[in-house]
Amino acid sequence: MWRRLLVRRLALGLLTLWLVSLVVFAATLALPGDAATAILGKQATPERVQALREQLHLNEPVTTQYVNWIGGILTGDLGTSAATQQPVAELISTQIWNTVFLVVVAALIAIPVSLGLGVLAAVRRDRTVDHVISTAALVLASLPEFVVSIILILLFATTVLQVLPAVSMLGPGQPAWEVPQSVILPAAALVLMVSPYIIRMMRGSMVEVLESEYVTMARLKGLSERAVIWRHAFPNAVAPAIQVTALQLAWMTGGVVVVEFVFRYPGIGQALVEAVSTRDLPVVQAVTLLAAAVYVGLNLLADIVTTLITPKLRTAEQ
Amino acid sequence: MEDLSASSYTKGKMSNERPQNPLEKPISRRQLLRGALAGGVLLTGGGMLSACGGNDSGKVGTGSIRNGGTLRVGATGGGPSDSIDAHVLVSDPDIARAFQLYEPLAIRNTDYKLEMVVAESIEPEARPDVWTVRLKPDIIFHNGKRVTADDVLFSLQRIVDPDNPKTGAASISYIDIKRSKKLDERTVRVQLQIPNVNFPDDVGQYFNGIVPKDYDPKQPVGTGPFKFESFEPGQQSAFSKFPDYWREGQPHVDELKIIDFPDDTARVNALLGGQVEAITNLPTSQIASIKQTGQLRPLIANTGNWQPFTMRVDQAPFNDERVGQAMRLIVDRQQMIEQALVGYGRVANDLYSPYDICYAGDEFEQRQQDLEQARSLLRQAGQSDLRVQLITSPVYQGIVEAAQVFAEQAKGAGVTVNMRKVDTGTFYGNSYLNWTFAQDFWFTRTYLGQVSQGSMPDSPFNETHWEDPEFLKLIQEARAELNDDKRCELLQEAQRIEYERGGYIVWSFSDQIDAYSVEVAGFEPSKTGMPLGNYGFRRVGNVA
Repeated sequence: MWRRLLVRRLALGLLTLWLVSLVVFAATLALPGDAATAILGKQATPERVQALREQLHLNEPVTTQYVNWIGGILTGDLGTSAATQQPVAELISTQIWNTVFLVVVAALIAIPVSLGLGVLAAVRRDRTVDHVISTAALVLASLPEFVVSIILILLFATTVLQVLPAVSMLGPGQPAWEVPQSVILPAAALVLMVSPYIIRMMRGSMVEVLESEYVTMARLKGLSERAVIWRHAFPNAVAPAIQVTALQLAWMTGGVVVVEFVFRYPGIGQALVEAVSTRDLPVVQAVTLLAAAVYVGLNLLADIVTTLITPKLRTAEQ
Repeated sequence: MEDLSASSYTKGKMSNERPQNPLEKPISRRQLLRGALAGGVLLTGGGMLSACGGNDSGKVGTGSIRNGGTLRVGATGGGPSDSIDAHVLVSDPDIARAFQLYEPLAIRNTDYKLEMVVAESIEPEARPDVWTVRLKPDIIFHNGKRVTADDVLFSLQRIVDPDNPKTGAASISYIDIKRSKKLDERTVRVQLQIPNVNFPDDVGQYFNGIVPKDYDPKQPVGTGPFKFESFEPGQQSAFSKFPDYWREGQPHVDELKIIDFPDDTARVNALLGGQVEAITNLPTSQIASIKQTGQLRPLIANTGNWQPFTMRVDQAPFNDERVGQAMRLIVDRQQMIEQALVGYGRVANDLYSPYDICYAGDEFEQRQQDLEQARSLLRQAGQSDLRVQLITSPVYQGIVEAAQVFAEQAKGAGVTVNMRKVDTGTFYGNSYLNWTFAQDFWFTRTYLGQVSQGSMPDSPFNETHWEDPEFLKLIQEARAELNDDKRCELLQEAQRIEYERGGYIVWSFSDQIDAYSVEVAGFEPSKTGMPLGNYGFRRVGNVA
């Protein structure tokens, strides 16, 4: 049964991606000016705009541009950047890996730490530890990402301490993992942004499970508190947290844009901001489509994991 | 696509970033204070205003410079379409790079004197439509070859190429390249289509660098103080000292890095965190906090930069010159400078090019706010309750703010200004140069140089659609007049016409504000309006 579900969800995901590509295309069309005027700026005299449009192949009708592009995607070719005439894949490959690295580092820290803190807060419910964790989570959840980023910069890079770089300054083609200290602050900002939601969800569902009858039963059987929490309560409480985690990770692919911009981190977020300002349609399309694919993919993954760890869902209709 | 040359390529190996050792620095009270200030500014978006503008331009002290080391500079803007081509310059980092790699025949220095660079002399014949360019004997390209007449002709040809006009094409399109020729290895005879005494200035621009005749922008070669090492568009570029540079003792540093910063906050943070030694375009709201640190200094330069309001004199309502005059009388210039430029500017008198020897702005009565007079002019023009749309866009610091101030001040004369703020893409889109009432920004130029750019019927940027026959005749005469006094007489008359019925409202000459660390010295303020003393990194070194 769940295999059929998977196929259906995959098909829906692909449909979503195609719709996203259309919406992004329409939205970029609504932007005034094109790559030629955006690049030339103040120097956009008719003669130079004309010459540059020729060079950039912007004189083709937009529908042709779109059809060429979508045809390329289907054959694995992301197209050619309008602003630089380089293959898009080549242009953004380093940046994609930089972002993947950043998001993975943030996720590897955020997920176990938040799940752990959520459990801790639930077990110590209404005691000091719980109050501290819950309040901190609430405060962090209410701050926009750029404020968190700037506070981190003030604390660790410019004002109070100068132990970490305020911005990344990587050499040409140098991947971020070769300069690990440039990842610390952006990753910390992302962790602080996504953790509160996971913590609160984990705490909530854990509190509920701890009050259930089978937990009381397990305790009455004389199992150690440790076994009660991790073997009996946690697996049943984690399902809702997984859904929230997936949503938060998906959010990261968007939130990373702001964080990358503030820290000048050379990832796809920065590529997207630059591509919009130069009206580089193929790059905007590629990056947005990628972000949408990650969003769809993570949700799909969350559904699969939830199904696998929830016996009721896993064995349904069998 | 050689011209956009966007691929990232590297010559030699890149060294990693110099590791920092900030742990060794104890935190002082002062640093804490600076943090509090910077934080306040960053979080509130700038409530911290410096008390007043002024003359504390950061002339470097007597600290002696030692040779060697690295200089890292944060430049404003930049993106994937950045170019390192000598003749295709769009973003600020492009310009910063051009100043290091390439040199034109001559250039206006920080004091706005025309200084011969690759040329030894640029002399007109009896009629200034033929000029003889004599090259310095000892100028060498980074590839070791000597600069010759062929290289000069090749460079000029490359710039004005009609199939692919470069940045400088608009200012020297009057060169008759076919009839220009080499006289000997060091001498070129340049033929113009019209007489023009401003030729040395027009050709002497940073975007008209001299390149070798086998120039390839992928391996950029020029005669500048620094050699190319690596370039990644939108990220950073690296350069090394050119040991055979013709100016004795320069440059001081061995390595130079220019880093792109599209975001103001990130650029200031990099300076505060010690990741760069200098940045361009310090936001005015940050000047006070920078000074507080004791480790950083603002570099404030009085310039001839101007950010005019542009009125199309061929369209209603501005085709009635009384309306244009009324608009100019509406502006309280000092107030606009205080509010839009945080005080960092000097009052202007509706004329441009203050450093031109023929500048007449000080000769005429300083125009001041006179709402009574403005109302009466509008009444005479039948426009008592005038409504106009003003197109504004954040294309330069202070522009949108100036539009807001103008809209407010106009109410005093009964004029309703409907402000339409558009993004830069729209501003430079299809209606660019055709807006009825808008704004623009210009850097310091000579009067004739500016007129060619914006005030002639065939100017590429004639945004006011100014086509005054009397003015035109005076300019044509002045272009052919080699005698300074006689030419200034003609230009004074031309400026009177613009002062009386031109389409610009020139309310200020704004200051250029940059910042640098006390660990380096050698920056000097420049009147040209180019940041960091015309990006004069050859003069800069680490303090001994």
